[in-house]
Amino acid sequence: MLVVSFPHLLLFLFSWTWGILATTPSHEEIVGEFFNQNAHAGSSTSNHTNNWAVLVCSSRYWFNYRHMANALGMYRTVKRLGIPDSNIILMLADDAACNSRNRFPGSVYANPGRGLDLYGDNIEVDYRGYEVTVENFIRVLTGRMEPSVPRSKRLLTDARSNIFVYMTGHGGNEFLKFQDNEEISAFDIADAFEQMWQKKRYNEILFMIDTCQANTMYSKFYSPNILATGSAKLDQNSYSYENDNDIGVSVIDRFTHYILEYMEQINKTSHESMADLFASYDPAKIHSDPGVRADLFGRPLNEVRITDFFGGVSQVEVGNGGDGEARASPSGTTEEENSSSEERPAVAVNASQAQQKVAPPSRPAKWRMTRAWGGVLLLGVLVGWVGFKR
Amino acid sequence: MPPHVHPEGTTLRDPSKLFYQLDFNRRLIIASYWVVIIAAIPLWWHFTSIERLSLPTSQVHSQAANQLRFPVQIQLENIQDASLPASLQQLLDDRIQRSPQAWKGLDVRVRNQNDANKPGDLFTVTANDNIPLASQRDLMYPIRPGTLSMLADALSILLVPPTDTHRVAQYSPRYRLAFTLLNEDAAAGKSISGWDISGAISRHLSPILNGLSVLHNFTIESQVQFHAPLAFSPLSLPDGYGITPEDLTVFVNSAEWSLSSSVSNDPVLHFVIFIPSASRRPLQILDSRGSPSPSSAFLLPQWGGIIIYNPPPEQESHAPLPQSALNSIFSTFATQLLALLGVPNLPPDVQTDAPVLTGWQLDALLRRRALENAEGAQDTLKSIVKLVDQIENMPVGQDVKGDVQDSLTALDQMYAYSSTSLNSTLHQSADALTLASRAFFNPGMLALLYFPAEHKYAVYTPLFASAMIPMIATAVREIRAWRKQRREAASAAAQ
Repeated sequence: MLVVSFPHLLLFLFSWTWGILATTPSHEEIVGEFFNQNAHAGSSTSNHTNNWAVLVCSSRYWFNYRHMANALGMYRTVKRLGIPDSNIILMLADDAACNSRNRFPGSVYANPGRGLDLYGDNIEVDYRGYEVTVENFIRVLTGRMEPSVPRSKRLLTDARSNIFVYMTGHGGNEFLKFQDNEEISAFDIADAFEQMWQKKRYNEILFMIDTCQANTMYSKFYSPNILATGSAKLDQNSYSYENDNDIGVSVIDRFTHYILEYMEQINKTSHESMADLFASYDPAKIHSDPGVRADLFGRPLNEVRITDFFGGVSQVEVGNGGDGEARASPSGTTEEENSSSEERPAVAVNASQAQQKVAPPSRPAKWRMTRAWGGVLLLGVLVGWVGFKR
Repeated sequence: MPPHVHPEGTTLRDPSKLFYQLDFNRRLIIASYWVVIIAAIPLWWHFTSIERLSLPTSQVHSQAANQLRFPVQIQLENIQDASLPASLQQLLDDRIQRSPQAWKGLDVRVRNQNDANKPGDLFTVTANDNIPLASQRDLMYPIRPGTLSMLADALSILLVPPTDTHRVAQYSPRYRLAFTLLNEDAAAGKSISGWDISGAISRHLSPILNGLSVLHNFTIESQVQFHAPLAFSPLSLPDGYGITPEDLTVFVNSAEWSLSSSVSNDPVLHFVIFIPSASRRPLQILDSRGSPSPSSAFLLPQWGGIIIYNPPPEQESHAPLPQSALNSIFSTFATQLLALLGVPNLPPDVQTDAPVLTGWQLDALLRRRALENAEGAQDTLKSIVKLVDQIENMPVGQDVKGDVQDSLTALDQMYAYSSTSLNSTLHQSADALTLASRAFFNPGMLALLYFPAEHKYAVYTPLFASAMIPMIATAVREIRAWRKQRREAASAAAQ
């Protein structure tokens, strides 16, 4: 009697738990569907007329100085390359510069020798301190704001906007922590991007993330025209670059440091492509394997200018605005030498891309599932045993 | 002394006879736990479930399949040959067949003399041997069998003008126009101290803004700045300085120029007069071959227009912008504004005597904006339905549902107006788009965060499993004991 009823009991318990708790949407199906839809190749020049940047540092407290330096470094770079402050949404805990432990009050440095003060004289932080939350980040992306929210906190993009999204903080497999009390998962960001795509809120997105196991964060994307890159693959940490003995903490992360270093040789009219940037990644220097995901992106990477995402506007019409004027585009004359010199890095990136392809959720996922169910089963058996023991 | 002796006359009581161990009481206690749990389930369900009202999905899909159609009638007047309307119709039909995408939503009919009044906008083409002239909704054109094909071409451009979607700003019921006079460096001397902006606007722009008032509501702001450095150094030429096409693309130094206030969320169109520093005059725009371009104005698609003004050398220091310069600059601004708002040009061979816009141009613009808005509203409604379907924990509240329904109503009314009033059609289409966007951007529609299944087990199992399993176990034990009792009682009764 007891032998028969015991498995039944457990079965009942599990189906009950499952029915109530398991509301996981079948993301794999959606992903597959969108991969198929996006098979067509897009045009080679960018169609955008405006550029936006969303820069998120999801950490706070003094020991995460380097994350704030990461975000401020990116802020300085996009601003230098021509994105106006009105088009930059900077989310930053902002407790490093004026921290009582900061020996250099009002400054944030990211380099040995403290040559460049990233905090500078003109910083516009749009979401500060406790405003840096998962909810606010999702609201910024999807545009679902209360009517009272000011213009500077909104991402007022349209179908012709290229958006650069940069995130940094402490993360893990498919999640990123926000200020030690909540976390955003890869699914949340993927869903937010899909909502933006549905409302025609972007032309193209460059998603860049510097955190541990960063490449898992873009593995769930399924909307078209997104180019993604991360600092470390699954089960890898992302390491800091420089310890400043006077400041007393690490001042920047390796991945971001090498990207910013590369960006220093770029100016507003540079012709370097994203393929060049990705080819500059050196796992030996970064101490982790950075990844690139371009399968959702419509254009070949060697034709995508870095300034398409980091810079200002790209096209100008000279004349009185009537018909038939020549359109000045920075491509024109140098196009040919470009394409030939960029052939090689492109191949390299494609190769690394192949390695970085998202692993199908077959064995590890199944194993995790079994493990989770095993745990529940074991607990059930133990508690049941105690319950039946007279 | 023995440790414990019961007093005489007392016996140990059978525990099962204790009042709190009575079968009935025990079962009552166990049952009451279960009653509380079962009674609480609906409450718990109510408070933890997400409000997801059903959206009018089928209505959205049927509405999305609709296509806005504008009937347009063309009346030929003062013609000798009665067969001309039919052949013109034939020529227009050929053009429609060749590019159906451009003629989308337009039903063009050339009226015969004997046609009764049919609905639709009426345009008149009058035969006249002078130069072609377009006025309100009329066109003077030499109509002969030989010129009929040219007339059909002119009519195509008048009715469905080619547009550059890259340049034209996206439709918004409200725009902010920000006029800025930038002195690169007033400290270098010979700067421009001010301008008669209100006079210039009322002279050059007000007629346009009034003409377009059915489409947009404009707010105007202006400012003068005295220090606006460039982010690059212009090329030094033998006779002045030049900006290469490459530098032109990064001309706007957005990091240091603040060109508009951020009071509202309306889209801004910028108009900038740039006065080069006295040490860098004249500053000219170079073409790709490096020779100075005759034009000193350029346009950034969807952003605005910029004019570089080099004051004459005899300009005294710190004087306002001279009237003549202001006039030529503002007539350029006017052209740029028209281009940015997507006002179509007339065919190259057709003149006009209308002060600002002809009815042909305005109607073509209204039709195109209405089509765009209708498409935008339909797409937005479709995406709302699709996303709500796709993302399971996205709440849908009453206000979202209301906005979706209102947007559908506006679309319905738009179709009803499409053959009678173009202005009302546009207004309804704009309302439909605004409402659909408001529904999409409803702050309450934020999908709850996604948690992996493991997280849920980890949170709920320690909480519920440890409480539930003993309760289930006792319940099962109790039921078994009860059934055993009944069996025994039955067998006892049988004996």
